[in-house]
Amino acid sequence: MAQVITRTHAPLDVRSRAIRTWKVIENLFWYIVLIGVAIVAAFPFIWVLAMSFKGPADPVVSVPPQFIPQHPTFENYVRVWKLLPMASFFMNSIVATASNVILNVTVAALAAYPFAKMKFPGRDAIFYFLLATLIVPMALAAIPSFILAVKVFHYRDQLISLVLPNMVSVFNIFLLRQAFKAVPNDLIDAAKMDGAGEFRIWWSVLVPIVRPSLAAAAINQFVFMWNEFFWAQLMLPTMTNRTLPVGLLALQSGFVSDSRGMAAGVVITVVPIIIFFALLQRQFTQGLSGAVKG
Amino acid sequence: MTKRLSLTPYLFLTPALLGIAVFVLYPMAAVVYYSFTDYNIITPPTWVGLKNYEHLFRDTVFVKALSHSLIYLLVTPILIVLSILLAIIVNRPLRGIHFFRALYYLPVVSGTVAVGLAWSLVLNTNGLLNALLQTLGMIKEPVQWLADPSLTLMFCMMLTVWTGVGFYMMIFLAGLQNIPEELYDAAMIDGCNNLQKHWYISVPGLRPQITFVAVISSLAALNVFSEPFILFGPNGGILDSGTTVVLYLWRVAFRLNHAGYASAVAMGLLVITLGFSILQIRLIERGTEAN
Repeated sequence: MAQVITRTHAPLDVRSRAIRTWKVIENLFWYIVLIGVAIVAAFPFIWVLAMSFKGPADPVVSVPPQFIPQHPTFENYVRVWKLLPMASFFMNSIVATASNVILNVTVAALAAYPFAKMKFPGRDAIFYFLLATLIVPMALAAIPSFILAVKVFHYRDQLISLVLPNMVSVFNIFLLRQAFKAVPNDLIDAAKMDGAGEFRIWWSVLVPIVRPSLAAAAINQFVFMWNEFFWAQLMLPTMTNRTLPVGLLALQSGFVSDSRGMAAGVVITVVPIIIFFALLQRQFTQGLSGAVKG
Repeated sequence: MTKRLSLTPYLFLTPALLGIAVFVLYPMAAVVYYSFTDYNIITPPTWVGLKNYEHLFRDTVFVKALSHSLIYLLVTPILIVLSILLAIIVNRPLRGIHFFRALYYLPVVSGTVAVGLAWSLVLNTNGLLNALLQTLGMIKEPVQWLADPSLTLMFCMMLTVWTGVGFYMMIFLAGLQNIPEELYDAAMIDGCNNLQKHWYISVPGLRPQITFVAVISSLAALNVFSEPFILFGPNGGILDSGTTVVLYLWRVAFRLNHAGYASAVAMGLLVITLGFSILQIRLIERGTEAN
């Protein structure tokens, strides 16, 4: 420290300028890396976007590949929209995802409270048992769950068949338990003195405090449900009842030789979710932070 | 806290436990039972004893699917390395870094189906890959990439990595931001260069996240279904080159209507998953002891 102070000003100034130029070069290098990765991450989408606007006179592929269509058209979008019930796909996805997220986060928040703040016989046993179910492969439950859906609940081909089986997320219970644990016990005790019951405490004290973690849990579940495919394609055979991922699959069979139409379908599906994501970007990307702490 | 046994905690747990009971525990019990039966979902199951299991070990497609699912575990180390590298890059306090973070996360929110269809337009015989390679003069004629059985699994794994890396990057990024800055300063004083400081500080500091990602990504790898289904269809490509255990289970149960035999396939998957999880927990425990 003392050494630095005794130095004269002039060389320090020269050095700081050198440091600044070095900094600029370094930042430039990192931006090149960032943009390079971005191109790799985005290039199938860029190709699809280009393809979706290609007119019948534009070749699907040429050497070198053509990214900007010579005869741009919306015709591909119109064709896909007419041939597939895209609006129904969207509505179904929204309804199924929204109701599942609400149910799932409520169930998780209810279960997380006793695990975080109460002492009762069997608490740890039940908790570890729940964690153990994380290992169970989802495909294992598929056959009996399918039979339940057809023979007991009679909800195959209805959206509720996606909502109910995914009502519990052990991962979200775990996440919210961590959040509830961080709430000071004094707050809970004070509410008890005021005569609040446990449910009241949960709803009026804990839930408002852990709102960021609830958002994180909701977003985890949203991403999972919005893209859920394995179970949805088993449950939703009728075209107009399908969610987006299952509906999109019809593109593959119906547009086998129509790359332009298929591309338009992919763009129609992806753009709304990208807009939604852009609006809630912070919540999406920060939601995960709370999940895994050392 | 009152001394007498209160029902309250159990009431809070009821919805979750009910859900687990109906959609996890009952199916587990049922699948064990079905695996000893001949069952086509329409007529009631008939008990056949160990017949399904005897068949399982002689079923070459099952063995093939199993080996594919195990090969698929290679995505775990690839995902860990790539997403740690990306997390370190996007952890720099640069202007606009949030934009890049969001961009890298985009394949995650777009979903495997949309991303898979996008990739199939790239990998098609008349897709972008052939056009690029022809432009560069690396190939003369378009190659039928998706029809080459030796590449099937690799393309599926590439799709998994491509859609997964942004998700795991966010987990590692959160971990990096929990590592105190002083540790890096101390490392620099001790003479570490930029690369060494990440090797000696970041990687050990990310141990909990590495464990977490290793566990969830390998469980996902053992359960892979969407990738081969979307790129190659329900038959898993030519000569079952892309058939994984879950894809095979799906086909046997819901295409061929052999729910009994498919349940035995499911039991096989459960045994592999359990064995693998125990192995992994052992390795992790040994790792923490060594620390």
